[in-house]
Amino acid sequence: MALTPASRPAGRGGGSPLTLIGVLAAVVCVLPLLGVVAAAASGGTADIAAADLIRYAATSAGLALLVAVITAAVGTAAAWLVVMHRFPGRDVFAWALVLPFAMPAFALAYAYADLFDVAGDLRIWVRAGAGFDLPIQLRSLPGAAFVLSCAFYPYVYLAMRAAFVNLPVQALEAARSLGCTARQAFFRVAVPMARPALAAGVALAVMETLADYGAVQFLSVQTLTTGVVRAWFVYGSLASAAQFALPLLGAAALLLWIERAGRRGRAYGGGARWRPLPVTALRGVKAAAATGFCLTLLGLGLLLPAGWLAWTSMDVTPEWPRLIAAARNSLGLGVGGALVTVLLATALALASRRLPLTARLASVGYATPGAVMAIGLLVPAGWLWSMAPGGSANVAAGILLLLYAYAARLMAAALEPVDAGLSRVTLSMIHAARGLGAGETRAALRVQLPIAAPALFTAGLVVLIDVLKELPATLILRPFNFDTLAVIADNYARDERLANAGWPSLMLVGLALPPVLWLSRKVAHARPGSP
Amino acid sequence: MTHPLNPAVLTVDGVSRAYGARPAVVDASLTLEVGRITCLLGPSGSGKSTLLRLIAGLEPVDAGVIRAGDEVLSRPGHTVSPERRGTGLVFQDYALFPHLTVLDNVRFGLTALPRSEQRERAMAALERVGLADRAMDWPHALSGGEQQRVALARSLVREPAAILLDEPFSGLDAHLKAGVRDDLTAALRAEGAAVLIVTHDAAEALMIADRLVLMDAGRVIQSGEPVACFERPVSRAAARLLGEVNALPVTVTGGTATTPWGPAAAPGLADGPAWLLLRPQDLMLSADGPEASVTTCRFGGRFSEIGADLAGHSLHLHTPGVGPRPGETVRVRAELARACVVAD
Repeated sequence: MALTPASRPAGRGGGSPLTLIGVLAAVVCVLPLLGVVAAAASGGTADIAAADLIRYAATSAGLALLVAVITAAVGTAAAWLVVMHRFPGRDVFAWALVLPFAMPAFALAYAYADLFDVAGDLRIWVRAGAGFDLPIQLRSLPGAAFVLSCAFYPYVYLAMRAAFVNLPVQALEAARSLGCTARQAFFRVAVPMARPALAAGVALAVMETLADYGAVQFLSVQTLTTGVVRAWFVYGSLASAAQFALPLLGAAALLLWIERAGRRGRAYGGGARWRPLPVTALRGVKAAAATGFCLTLLGLGLLLPAGWLAWTSMDVTPEWPRLIAAARNSLGLGVGGALVTVLLATALALASRRLPLTARLASVGYATPGAVMAIGLLVPAGWLWSMAPGGSANVAAGILLLLYAYAARLMAAALEPVDAGLSRVTLSMIHAARGLGAGETRAALRVQLPIAAPALFTAGLVVLIDVLKELPATLILRPFNFDTLAVIADNYARDERLANAGWPSLMLVGLALPPVLWLSRKVAHARPGSP
Repeated sequence: MTHPLNPAVLTVDGVSRAYGARPAVVDASLTLEVGRITCLLGPSGSGKSTLLRLIAGLEPVDAGVIRAGDEVLSRPGHTVSPERRGTGLVFQDYALFPHLTVLDNVRFGLTALPRSEQRERAMAALERVGLADRAMDWPHALSGGEQQRVALARSLVREPAAILLDEPFSGLDAHLKAGVRDDLTAALRAEGAAVLIVTHDAAEALMIADRLVLMDAGRVIQSGEPVACFERPVSRAAARLLGEVNALPVTVTGGTATTPWGPAAAPGLADGPAWLLLRPQDLMLSADGPEASVTTCRFGGRFSEIGADLAGHSLHLHTPGVGPRPGETVRVRAELARACVVAD
């Protein structure tokens, strides 16, 4: 494949295979969304009551709002502590606070539901010891908001951390010299200047909240996404499912717009000289409080739920053959999804330098919940299944559809690091390679790909982690009897066999943790002077 | 507005600051006086920006004292925080807050006042720097020179006793510099505050300053009036900071140096080896004087730059129009009255 220089003039060689692949990638992403709209339009309104739709939508909105507020506060505080202060454990928390990304939201829901169960050890112990019952009802909107905030606060933490690290020190110093204390400088300058990043981070957390199926379903909170899946599985109505999906699609587009607008931000003018951030050393109670806060976050997001799941799982003997087959499937889908998505994203990144619209089109799928993506693919899926009835061909077609759904949903997530990686190759570097006698292909292989390779790897890991944790699209599109770890965990949890659900959940964490660890370390060391 | 600074003076006394093993400022002393502009001149890495940050309270001192009148602002183990020092700071890149309008930037530091008075004062400050009509604009909509005046207004509106400017002209296009420089110095003088300007541009410093402080390798090597610093440098390093200079080894005996052009006064210097300092403009081709052979000659339009070898020592001088060819022998005359002899 001939990779093309970054800012090649538009209009030249428009019909190259590369551009075609890029356009194809964009079509891949947009087609399912058109499918949803078409399906919703085809079905009339008889299948679901408008009141139901409104009730589900209100629950989704309420949940999104709660998660937005909690993650914004918690993620910002954690980022500020870690970037601007020194306290015991800071260097570890800098990357460890990202680790809850390895924990699927549904696994958190299982763990906390069990932990706070009315008949559970904890409640009994508190009732016996303190004489009153813990006023906690996890199977509720606030409960679900708590669980999802634990799962998704790292989005805000990451965005704000990057914003604070890149904060021009001069702005803070100017605020100090204009009479602000350190605390006032934070609220009057640092937070407002990081507002675009905050919006972007919260938008991502809300996107994931709206897309979540496993956790809210288990906690009996009826959101639009549970509506989509239920309409399909219980009523078998594609049109109803699509009608639940439509508001989600609208919300996704809005969130995507917010996230992208936030990323552009308002640039800080002037060629500021780089200077390390002024780091305040915390002592005594303050240091203990900072460590305690970060430890609580990490504990609530990963250590406590994973530990509890491990503890309860001890009681049951896992069905090893089934689990191992599922793990193989999860990993296979993850790696396959990563390869397909990164390949398409690379083509898209290169093609979009000529046709900028393609990348924007492809990004539309990003915020779209997996369940919605799957519903949009059911129409073409129907054709595929009818063409290849039964047997191994059916399985292959199903897996193909799954990979399609993953690629469409995660294209933008992969596109971002790929694009950043490729943009590090300047036009003059390629010209230099060409001037040194390298042909276009050789220049691509010897210069562009090596420089962009780490970025492609990063993109692949991002896709891998998301595919491992994916549930609703897999539930809807998977071939018959094709289980992933997430699907098995969901099955056990539906049967209230939580101890059994712990095993596949923990295996998922085990699979996702190494790539999350690698990514978080990379993020923590990405910038000079950052912790 | 009250501030802890005694309006009389700000004194920096024997201040040092090191980063790890690397000393950035060593035993530096200077005084800022009300109504006067002091320029801190030095090459990059000489510690001048660090010294400014020490005065602003952005960094602690390792040794020495910074005082405002009788109040100690900085000493080892104690630093009055930047917001309570009464010093205004204008950054090299202006550090305007991009999320606030010009007016909100200027009144940022006036939170202690009622809103109406904040606005009134901020508008008055913008008026003084000629930007009242841009009050509602965003910082990025302004030119570099305008941004700088906003940054200046933002500092001045708090009526600081001392105002510190870090390389105020380095971000500006060359053709704008002269105009901005005149505007800025006029505005600063009108305020009557003690002003410290950090710069690496000798011509700029000589033109603006009432008082010069020369820094090299973390140390203050000379301070005084610009003309005095230029005409009576204390060392070769000090002379070089203010422009090109020829340094010839000479010998001092009894307060007089023997030079190729005859005896030169070297008051106060001990007997032994010393250096004769001559600016290129104080050397000229002539019919008399010692002989030198031309090594290089570059035609530069209004004048030619000549490199010559005089008894094994290289000299630089300027001559109007086209100069001699390399290899030719010329005679060089010196304005010994303008020369000076230094020990180091």
